[in-house]
Amino acid sequence: MAADPETLIERITDYASRPDPYPLYAELREHGVARQQNGSYLVGTYHEITALLHDPRISSDRRNRTEPDEAGDEEQGIPPSFIGLDDPEHHRLRSLAMRSFGPPHNPGRIDALHGEITRIVQDLLAQLRTRDRIDLVDEFAYPLPVTVICRLLGVPTEDEPTFRGWSDTIVSGLDPARGADPTERQRAAADARRAMGIYLGELAASRRGNPGADMLSAFATDPGPDHGGFNQIEIMTTAVLLLIAGHETTVNLITNGMLTLLRHPEALERLRDEPALMPRAVEELLRYEPPVQMLPQRTPLADIEINGVTVPRGAPLILVLASGSRDPRRFPEPDRFDPGREDNQHLGFGGGVHSCFGAPLARLETQAALTALIQHLDAPRLVEDPPPYRRSPVLRGPRHLLIDHDRAGG
Amino acid sequence: MNVVVDLNRCQGYAQCAFLAPEVFAMHGEEALLYHPVVPDGQQERVLRAVAACPVQAILVGEEAGTGER
Repeated sequence: MAADPETLIERITDYASRPDPYPLYAELREHGVARQQNGSYLVGTYHEITALLHDPRISSDRRNRTEPDEAGDEEQGIPPSFIGLDDPEHHRLRSLAMRSFGPPHNPGRIDALHGEITRIVQDLLAQLRTRDRIDLVDEFAYPLPVTVICRLLGVPTEDEPTFRGWSDTIVSGLDPARGADPTERQRAAADARRAMGIYLGELAASRRGNPGADMLSAFATDPGPDHGGFNQIEIMTTAVLLLIAGHETTVNLITNGMLTLLRHPEALERLRDEPALMPRAVEELLRYEPPVQMLPQRTPLADIEINGVTVPRGAPLILVLASGSRDPRRFPEPDRFDPGREDNQHLGFGGGVHSCFGAPLARLETQAALTALIQHLDAPRLVEDPPPYRRSPVLRGPRHLLIDHDRAGG
Repeated sequence: MNVVVDLNRCQGYAQCAFLAPEVFAMHGEEALLYHPVVPDGQQERVLRAVAACPVQAILVGEEAGTGER
């Protein structure tokens, strides 16, 4: 019995699909572009996604949708951050944020974090090694990126319980509609963004008289290039974006990574013997089990044709990156996890002008995390497979990952 | 160890300039500069940069740059 392609988004977002959405993505690729009952369009093939990521007619600003939603309501929340804006505003704000994060103005910032990342990893591991059973998410994969992004931004780690709540609410507002009315979720997400923005904006303002080496200090004090630095609202929206992205995505890359390695013991053994292969293996994880499964925020600014299907101006356009990265027309044996895969231009970090801002940091953290885990956990094994998943179909990963291992020294 | 970047492929994602900043540098937001002969102690960083390049534009090896592949 052929399933209805118009219900794909409902079936993908159904929580029961979370452990293995990949058969649904294969079904999506059969259709190329699939119109959904709710009027949105899904794209799941590699070459079409790549073209759309570079197409200036595709907007990232939800306010260009024919049916506006609460997330774009500025009376309710704060304006979009640069991930939800188009050029030239997107470029201006992203470049300003980049001035304190990477090249050309601050090329050594991420490289200089090596030592600190290693120290945090070792501290977390030392605790894990004292017990037979660990929850990789709560005890390692979550605290690592949170600690790093807090240091980088200059946010006190002890405030984590406060912003964790906001972050959960914001992420749940990202879910594409599951048939139910999404208004309430998006309203709550807008409130949470505003609350987090006020908190981060006040932190940044407090650094003005006494700036540190952190990014919030730079946001508050950098006079910027000719067209000037950030205003206070822009500091809020940018800091919210970076804090959320820094702690809702890498956790899933590390956890999906360890889960994948435990499901492929021969790959785990190979990486234990050849640690120099880890950078490639992390790229393969970004292709095979990416933490960001889809970009749900795009909208065509004109009627566009994709694979013979006309997608009307203003319709929600969802690019299913995780499907594109498993497209057999681009990758040989796409459903095979191959840590040594060479031709691997995956869509794990998106592409085009919105390609992941934090990609180099995510790479370093995940390489350090997985290298240390496989070197120091003795005979690690999964307690349950599949593990329980987090709610979100967009930022997908296990909520817990219980692992048994032979405790150090006995 | 030598490095060659295929500048026809390079799209300025700058992953190499983050991951091996003593070997690769962005001149402004688009042009890439690099040291074709990798300094001692930078090999591991260069291999990270090679793996991370989203358009796989970095060629590395003992022969890179000598016209051999």
